[in-house]
Amino acid sequence: MNKILTLIAILAILGGVLAACAVPGGGEAPAGGEEEKVILIGAAVSETGKYAREGGDTRKGYLLWEEWVNNEYGGIKVGDERYKVKLIMYDDEGDPDTAAKLTEKLITEDKVHFLLGPYSSGLTKSASAISEKYNMIMVEGNGASESLFVRGFKNLFAVLTPAGNYTESGLKAVADAGAKSVVIAYEDTAFPTSVAEGAQKWAKEYGLEVLAVETYPKDVADVSGIMSKFKDLNPDVFVGGGHFNDALLFIRSAKELNFTPKAMIITVGPSNPKLVKELGADADYVIGPTQWDRTMSYKDEYFGTAEEYAQRFEKKWGEEPTYQAAESTAAALALQIAIENAGSLDTDKVREALNAMDVVTFYGPIKFDETGKNAGKPMGAIQIQDGDIVVIAPESAKQADLIYPMPPWDQR
Amino acid sequence: MELLLQALFNGILLGGYYAVMVLGFSIIWGVMGVINLAHGEFLMIGAYGAWVLFRVFGIDPFLSLAIIMPVMFGVGYVLQRVLINRVVERPHLISLLVTFGLSIALANLFNVIFTADPRTVPVSYNGSFNILGMTVPIVKTMILGLALLIMFALHVFLQRTRLGRSIRAAAQNKNAARIVGVEVGRVYAITFGIAIALTAAAGAMISPVAPIFPFMGPPFTLKAFTITALGGLGRIPGALLGGMVLGLVETLLATFVPGVGTNVGIAASFVLLVLVLILRPQGLLQGLRPMEVE
Amino acid sequence: MGFLRRVWRLISANGGIYSWLTLIAILALYPLLTPSGAALLTATQLFMLITVSSNWNLIGGMTGYVDFGHAVFFGIGAYLMGILVTVVPDYILFSPQLGFWQALPLAGLGAMVFALLIGVPTLRLKGPYFSIAMLGTFVAMREIIRLLKPFTGGGEGLDLPPVLNRTRDYYFMLIFMGVVVALMWWIRRSEFGHSLLAIREDEVGAEMRGIDTTRHKIIAFMIAAFFTGVAGAFWAFQNTYIDPDVVFIEQRTVEMVMSSMLGGLGTVWGPPLGAFILYMLQDLVWANFYNLHLFILGVLLIFIVLFVPEGIIGTLGDRSSTSLGRLLSRGFNRGERTMEERA
Repeated sequence: MNKILTLIAILAILGGVLAACAVPGGGEAPAGGEEEKVILIGAAVSETGKYAREGGDTRKGYLLWEEWVNNEYGGIKVGDERYKVKLIMYDDEGDPDTAAKLTEKLITEDKVHFLLGPYSSGLTKSASAISEKYNMIMVEGNGASESLFVRGFKNLFAVLTPAGNYTESGLKAVADAGAKSVVIAYEDTAFPTSVAEGAQKWAKEYGLEVLAVETYPKDVADVSGIMSKFKDLNPDVFVGGGHFNDALLFIRSAKELNFTPKAMIITVGPSNPKLVKELGADADYVIGPTQWDRTMSYKDEYFGTAEEYAQRFEKKWGEEPTYQAAESTAAALALQIAIENAGSLDTDKVREALNAMDVVTFYGPIKFDETGKNAGKPMGAIQIQDGDIVVIAPESAKQADLIYPMPPWDQR
Repeated sequence: MELLLQALFNGILLGGYYAVMVLGFSIIWGVMGVINLAHGEFLMIGAYGAWVLFRVFGIDPFLSLAIIMPVMFGVGYVLQRVLINRVVERPHLISLLVTFGLSIALANLFNVIFTADPRTVPVSYNGSFNILGMTVPIVKTMILGLALLIMFALHVFLQRTRLGRSIRAAAQNKNAARIVGVEVGRVYAITFGIAIALTAAAGAMISPVAPIFPFMGPPFTLKAFTITALGGLGRIPGALLGGMVLGLVETLLATFVPGVGTNVGIAASFVLLVLVLILRPQGLLQGLRPMEVE
Repeated sequence: MGFLRRVWRLISANGGIYSWLTLIAILALYPLLTPSGAALLTATQLFMLITVSSNWNLIGGMTGYVDFGHAVFFGIGAYLMGILVTVVPDYILFSPQLGFWQALPLAGLGAMVFALLIGVPTLRLKGPYFSIAMLGTFVAMREIIRLLKPFTGGGEGLDLPPVLNRTRDYYFMLIFMGVVVALMWWIRRSEFGHSLLAIREDEVGAEMRGIDTTRHKIIAFMIAAFFTGVAGAFWAFQNTYIDPDVVFIEQRTVEMVMSSMLGGLGTVWGPPLGAFILYMLQDLVWANFYNLHLFILGVLLIFIVLFVPEGIIGTLGDRSSTSLGRLLSRGFNRGERTMEERA
């Protein structure tokens, strides 16, 4: 038995030494040469795990900004000097423990100046608690849940429209077209819950009667119970809050139970071209909120118009930007503008600049309220028409009129 | 009333699917005493098989069964020979851990190959028709029909054919079966092949109605436990009964509990599992092997 | 193996106790070297894995009841912590900072009571039926927590006050781990531990020798649940937010089982060693395999089970140490054989 103790002790000491060597070596040494001024910006973003796909979009958005700001823009202006940006990104694997560890590592070992957010509300919650503790600014573009902004954090800023406003433009559009009643189904996790609470609020605002609200758990495989119940209520509008899987399930289930509301508003799925690819013609007439679309009329002096941003993105990555990519670039851009306005890398000054910010970017207006949410930006809405994703709201970016009501399943 | 009828019908459709989904799991457990924690992953492989055949060759998912089942039979046969055979004679813990490792490996392998994007097979006939004021979903009704057909065929196979009798003999008493000249090793490999083929077929059948993604498996494995616990091991009527009970419980709760019905349904299916194990460990129907309790 | 064993003998001949003391000294003094917060957090997470794996090993390895849902106690601890410091703090606790320390033992006690309630019926079940019942309990609890929205925040979860202190966390987990491992070491030597091993080898025989098997099993289960619950409560506080899908993840149980298997099931030092290797592999090596690392984890599990079921300690260490793996690799243990034959 004694031998085993010794074995363990020796192994542990060896391992500890190894780890001690490996940990500092793992992080990249901050800026070697003194002649070039560098701002270090860190982010822990999923490259693997359950958010691998969306995390990939986030990474591409950040990297696009880094390349642009260094090579084309010539570095961030701080006072009279130009600072290059060095972006340090790690893979959080979608795991909160890993996200916490990496955020801590970015702050305490890599000594980054500022942080950008991870993908998803949950991971943003883990990471922002740590950045708050170290008084580090984190600008994020991928955590929309309202519960992120009720914790009283001073250093968390989000450029995206919060989840509560996701359905606003869609509900307004269908209410204007004559809808009277609505039913809501949502996955009972942080982001969809915020969406559904917002939907109830906006439905009331636009004079729609909420007939029923139903929840379902994550990764549900069958929603026919919810759909038959809804069919019985015969509502004008169906609102579904959830993720990509759920959009597939809702549309499938509605068709096979012949549940035909006059409009279906579903989050996350419809704005993604992959939904049309998977569902084909069944996806037609579905309405979805969108944070951003390349056809929107916003523009700025940095990336130009939304369309120009999309082209730049396509040139670099060979694929169309999703709104997740655009909002990530926008988060980085907002940080850049704040640093330039502050003329300093000092956290307090940059925070003041963020609080005072009121700009319009290729992604839309950015103006943070006292909790750090982007209060100024309206949410767009798209509808799938004949297999194409077209913007139907807001008015300024509209490509086509809303088709309402949607034709019943058997008359298509 | 209409809603109740519709809910009962939906529950039966779901129950029929559960019954065919659980067969492979129940057979492997009943015959070999191996609890296959990778059950859901084989279902996932079948679903991806149907998706690939549909996307690449345009083959209908129900027709693709003719390709998927033989291929997966081969996969199961080989897998039993190289891997499962090593753990059949060993305690349950070993086979639990091995199939658990297999389930993690398979799900993540498919995640690398197919990415986490959910897929689905958009068949053209996925609508519905009306009978007596009830909405009848076409694909799910086809699944129910096929499920009953498969169960009947399997029943006949096990009862009437020589091979089927060998399988039952090996399940009941391995040593006695050996004495009367049954090649237990070969019978096990064939059984495993059949079970995997059935599981993959269930996966292919569900491909037009549910999202397909690499991590879809574990909930099915858990439900397979519940159904087996309800219906007893290795028996086809048991699988049917267990599937129907679960399908009806889930659907009725989802339809009639306001607000959180779907959540309650899913919670109930797992609470049911624990309760049945605790209160009636031999299942509602006795199986090939009785579940033992001290 | 022979060569390794010889090298091994050489090292152990010279001062096992010194390397042991050195290790304790290094661990205790480590924060004085002012390491980064990330390094402290890494160490803390490793200590936690060692702690929960040792606890799993008490019921899974030493008593032979393989618990596939042990993370349920982790989850209950985490949620009790969450509820105590957010929903009801004004009535029970002093303040977020102090309340944390008050809530820790309460969370552990809650997990222990739950272990009693669920253990009485499930520990009667044999072999795989116990494993499945616990797996079912685990998943059912995740869904029940989701439904108890007024207390648990439902799927949205709870936000805990973000009061982070890495040095405090490090020392807490270090001491906690020390207590747990020492307790396991003591149990393994005590009469209680011998009774547990007797239950594992042959439950019917143990009963006939006059061991109150039910009481022993339940006490072991409750001890394991208590410490796992405290670890969960601590985790909740450290992560600053909880929801059903980050707390009740199957991977937590997998890691406990893997650590114990890798190090040596049913041995005192197996889980710490296994957890250490597993964590280092995950942190240093697998991070470079991107998506493949979980695939590799699965394949590795299969290989361990098939080829080194005794784990590292059981294979390398002296043969008198009782490892469940060796028992299993021999084939059916007696309890199961009788069951097979009766069937």
